Parts: sequence; C-alpha cells; structure tokens
Amino acid sequence: MMKRFDTWASLVFLLIGIAFVVGSTQLSTSAFGSSVGPDIFPMGLGSILILLSARLMFETFKAPVAAKQQAHVESAATAEEEDEAIVPSKPNYKGFFLIFGAAFLYAFFLEDIGYPIGTFLFLLFAFQVMERGKWLVSTIIAAAFSLGIYFVFVKILQGTLPGFPSFIPL
Amino acid sequence: MSVFEHLMNGFATSFLWYNILFAFVGVIIGTAVGVLPGIGPMSGVALLIPVTSTVTSGIGLGPAESATSSIILLAGVYYGAMYGGSTTSILLNTPGESSSVVTALDGYQMAKKGRAGAALSIAAIGSFVAGLVSLIGLVFLAEPLSNVALSFGPAEYFSLMLLGLCAVSGLAGKSMTKALIMTVFGLLLATIGMDNVSGVARFTFDNPILYAGLEFLTIAVGMFALGEVFKTIIDNDKSAGKIAKIDRVMPTKQDLKQSAAPIARGSFLGFFIGVLPGAGATLASFFSYITEKKLSKNPEKFGKGAIEGVAAPESANNAASGGAMIPLLTLGIPGSGTTAILMGAFMMYNIQPGPLLFDKHPEVAWGLIASMFIGNVMLLILNMPLVKVFAKIIDTPTRYLLPIIVAISIFGVYAVQVSIFDLMVLLGCGVLGYIFTKHDYPIAPLVLSLVLGPMIENNMRRALTASNGDFSIFVSKPLSAVFLVIAVLWIAIPLILKMKGKKVLVNEEA
Repeated sequence: MMKRFDTWASLVFLLIGIAFVVGSTQLSTSAFGSSVGPDIFPMGLGSILILLSARLMFETFKAPVAAKQQAHVESAATAEEEDEAIVPSKPNYKGFFLIFGAAFLYAFFLEDIGYPIGTFLFLLFAFQVMERGKWLVSTIIAAAFSLGIYFVFVKILQGTLPGFPSFIPL
Repeated sequence: MSVFEHLMNGFATSFLWYNILFAFVGVIIGTAVGVLPGIGPMSGVALLIPVTSTVTSGIGLGPAESATSSIILLAGVYYGAMYGGSTTSILLNTPGESSSVVTALDGYQMAKKGRAGAALSIAAIGSFVAGLVSLIGLVFLAEPLSNVALSFGPAEYFSLMLLGLCAVSGLAGKSMTKALIMTVFGLLLATIGMDNVSGVARFTFDNPILYAGLEFLTIAVGMFALGEVFKTIIDNDKSAGKIAKIDRVMPTKQDLKQSAAPIARGSFLGFFIGVLPGAGATLASFFSYITEKKLSKNPEKFGKGAIEGVAAPESANNAASGGAMIPLLTLGIPGSGTTAILMGAFMMYNIQPGPLLFDKHPEVAWGLIASMFIGNVMLLILNMPLVKVFAKIIDTPTRYLLPIIVAISIFGVYAVQVSIFDLMVLLGCGVLGYIFTKHDYPIAPLVLSLVLGPMIENNMRRALTASNGDFSIFVSKPLSAVFLVIAVLWIAIPLILKMKGKKVLVNEEA
C-alpha cells in the first residue's frame, strides 16, 4: 500500500515540478535591470523537484523490502514496550469524515451564521461523533467554549469575529 | 553594554507582571502539551501563535512589547513540553513526545518498582539543571555569534540557510528523498505570491487572494495541529495503560548521587546537539542514553529501572531545546520544526531574528532569555510538588479535546487572517498533513523551508545581482564555500553510510 502511494506521490510531485518550471517561463520580466529575474528560483527548484520525484519513483520500484529494514531504527527499541499500552483498533474513517465534513461546513458558513452559533453546533456535533451520549455535558462544554471565546475576544480584546446573524437581535 | 547589563535589563522586562503571567501560562500549557499524547510541541506552539497575538494586542501592548510577551509564552510551551513529556513516559509507558521515548525505557520500569516519584523528580531536576546550563551557554554565545554573523554577506547567508535546510532534511524521517522533496516543495510554495524583489506576481493565476502568498501560520496550524487531530481520530488509539501510583516525590540522597554525573553529561551533550541544525531534542535524548549505557559500570541494569537512564535523556532533551534557540536568535536560522514555527511568530511581529536582533530589539532577545530562567524555576516547582495534578491531565477525555483543538485552530486562523479562504487552506493542509505523516513524508522540512524560502531567494538574488549573474560567487567566498561543503557532506554521509549497510539514526520530531 505504501509502495502504491509513493508511486502516485512521485507522479504528483513530478507534475508539480513541471508545472512550476513551465509557469516560471511565463512570468513577466521586470523592469528591474538585473539578469537575475523572478523566474530563476522557482525554475531551479522545479527542476530539482522533477529530479527528486524521479529518484523517488526509482527507489519505490527498486527495493521496497530493503528500505523497510532500514526504517524503525529509532522506534525498534521501544516498539516492544509500546505494545503493552496501546491497543490497536480499526481505523475510524467514518468519524473522520463526519468531523471533517462538519468542520468544512462550519468554516464555510462561518461568516453567515456567525461565530457563537457555528462553533456551538460544530462542537456539539463533533463531541457526539467522538462518543454518543452525555448530551448535557456536551452541550454545556460546547456552549461555554463558543460563548466564552466570543465574549472574551470580541468584548474584552476588541477583536473581530462574525457575531450573531442578523435575524437574531442580540 | 556588557552581557551582564543586558541580562539585567532582560530580567527587568521579564519581571513585568504580564510577562510573568505569560511565562507562567506558557509553561503550564507546555507541560500539558507534553503530557497529552495527542498534541506535540510543534502543534502546541502553532496553535497558540494566533491566540497570543490577539491577547497581546488586546491588552494594548506596542509591537515590540507584544512580540516579547508572545515569544516568552511560546518558548515556554516549547521547553515546558520537554518537562511534561517525561510524565507519561514514566507513569504510563506512553511517551507524550518523541523526545521522551527513551525515558520510558527505564522510567516505566522504575514506576513498576514503585519508584515513580523518584523517577519523576529526577526528570524534573535534570531538566532544570539542563535548562540552566543551556541558558548560560545561550547568554555567553549569543553576542559573539551574532557578531560573527554580522559580517556575513548575502552569499554567506544563502549558503548557511541551504546548510540548515540540508541538515534538517538529512535527518528528518526515514527516507531522505522524501524529506528533500518536502523541502523543495515548501520552497516552491513560498514563491507563490508577489515577488519581493521585482514586484512580479508569481503563480497567482491573477487571483488577488494569492498575491500575499500562502500564509505560513495557516499551513503550520493545519499540517501540525489538524493533521495530528485527524490522525488521532482515524487511528482510534485507546490508551489502555494504567497509571502507576506516585509515592514519595523527593529523591533520596543515593538517587541524587547516582544521577549527578548523568545529568551533567546529558546537559552538555544535549546543548551541543541542540545547537546543531537538524538534530533536535529527540536525537539528543537518544545519544545521551546510549552514552550513559556505554559509560556505565553495569550496563545490564539499563532497561530495568536505572535512574541514570531517566536522568540523562531528560536533561539532554531540555538542554537541546535551549540550544536550539541559539541559531534561531543569533543567526536567524531555525534548525528544527518547532524553532521554525517560533521564527514565524517573530516575523508576524515584523521582528527579524538574527544578528541584528540583539542590536535593534535587545529587549526582545534578552527579555526572552531572562524569562527562560524564570520559566525553568516555575517548571521545577510545577513538576515536583504538583506532578500528581499534572498526571491527571492524561485522563482528559479525547472526545472533548480533539473537537476543541479543531475549533481553536479555526478560531486562531480566522482571528488573524479574517478570511474564509485561509480556513479552507487550513482544512486542506490538515488532510495533507495526515496523509504526509502517514506515509513518512516529514512535515517539518516543509514548514521550515516555507519560512526560509523568501529569505533564501532574496539572498541568492542579491548575491547574484552583485556578481552579475555569476554563480561562482557562492564558492569563491571562502565562508560560503565552507557552508556549502558541509551542506553537501550532511546529505552525502548518511547516504554513503546507508549504502554500506550501517544504521542511521533519524530524527522523527525534527
């Protein structure tokens, strides 16, 4: 799996490198009378990135097994010990997507619904995704955090945060 | 003014009521960050940059004063985490930070034998002594080093920063190719936006949002803080360990006698490793553990609860965090991920760390140094009698902690940038940060080169303009040539060692 990811990553970085090289040839030249224009740095770096991603691709195809043995020099000593304390479990992708989706909506609509309400809803939802139940505690913490930050930041520190939406008179 | 007078002025600054408060809050949060396995010093510092900047401007401080106060707090988080990291290593066998991984080897064994209190207090005492040693080193090296740096021209600076980047990529992560890719990628990201020299917009696609470039803070908070949160949610780790009981906190005379030499050695070793770019607290703790084991008369007791095995690495990691401040403050070149983030904080206040810092803003530099003395004393007090209170932080339920970290990230970035676009970048970087770390693409070099990128480019172009586009200027200046040779060696030697089949120690924290 790691190998497949590295192959794709090297392709993506290769494309990024090419994009930067091509992009820097199209930069407008400045009136500043120097032979060293704004294009030279990104163009050089883009070329290096192309070379490095080619190397990564080569490494990935060549010896994935040998590379694995090199790894974990540092953690090898403690791996045995850590096994006692951490119980590995299934990756929780569902929880991640729910919380990430909520965070995205929260950030996207932050200026529309305002900071206090948005934060409260996001936190309450995320708390419940992490672990169902304990509604009362979740509600109290979410409310305390969102209102606390809002009032300290806006009223005391005079900062800017989107307030309550206009249909709530406050 | 002499070093002593500067230091006294620094103490005057750091004894202002709000600076004491900032240092105190910093070390408390630092200890908590060290104790909590989910968030490390890098994400802790990144998260707090926007929070401190709003608080300092809120209580009406000027730019220089706000910078001093913020940096005092952020540095407190950094070295406070080194104290706190030992707590979970010893009590739970779950290191809170990578720099405390070795501490768990002997610390947890001591706790199993009912000597948790002694292990914790030796770790705190060792950290304290190491903190003092590295601060004294900082006080005496700061001025001479920055005087040397003042003679550097753009060519020397370019080569030195290149050396810094090579050092960090050479040691970060398991694959050097991946680390180098991340470094170059970071440098490329830094070119997005208006070019400082010529005023030409680069890679902005005529989108005005991109003219100012990608904000360092947004990327750092996203990659480190959100990346770690997402990782914790997906990995779904449940710490099943039982916290060892703490009995008496004070160490016995015998303990102190046994630990004195390891603490001293760990402090010096850690300090010098910390000064080197790329090698951070994690490497320092490993090296000092190995050194103690080699020097010991009975090395077989290591791993079975030897107090030397706790004292040395804990001293070393704290000394290294102090030593890492030296290249940042005197040369303006961060040597690690955390110091790169601290540098980002300096730049937010328009204060350039480097040789001129001690000239132009002595109150910032010396105030910070003096506050680190105070902070270390606070940490010693916090970690000896109050260690039982801090051990309770481990029980903080992640179900509340993780969503709140997400909320703080969003709040912090919005409060500083006031832009929804930055929030989208933030969330995207969080996902990227998770994917990168999962596949061993180290993030620290990326963030470091994002900070250094504009400076490297400026110095390169200034040098090339002076030489009329002739690249040989970088090798014809002797100092610059030396830096470049070291940079090449730094990358080449580990590669050669690997080819010969030797094991190469890498720095996961970077």
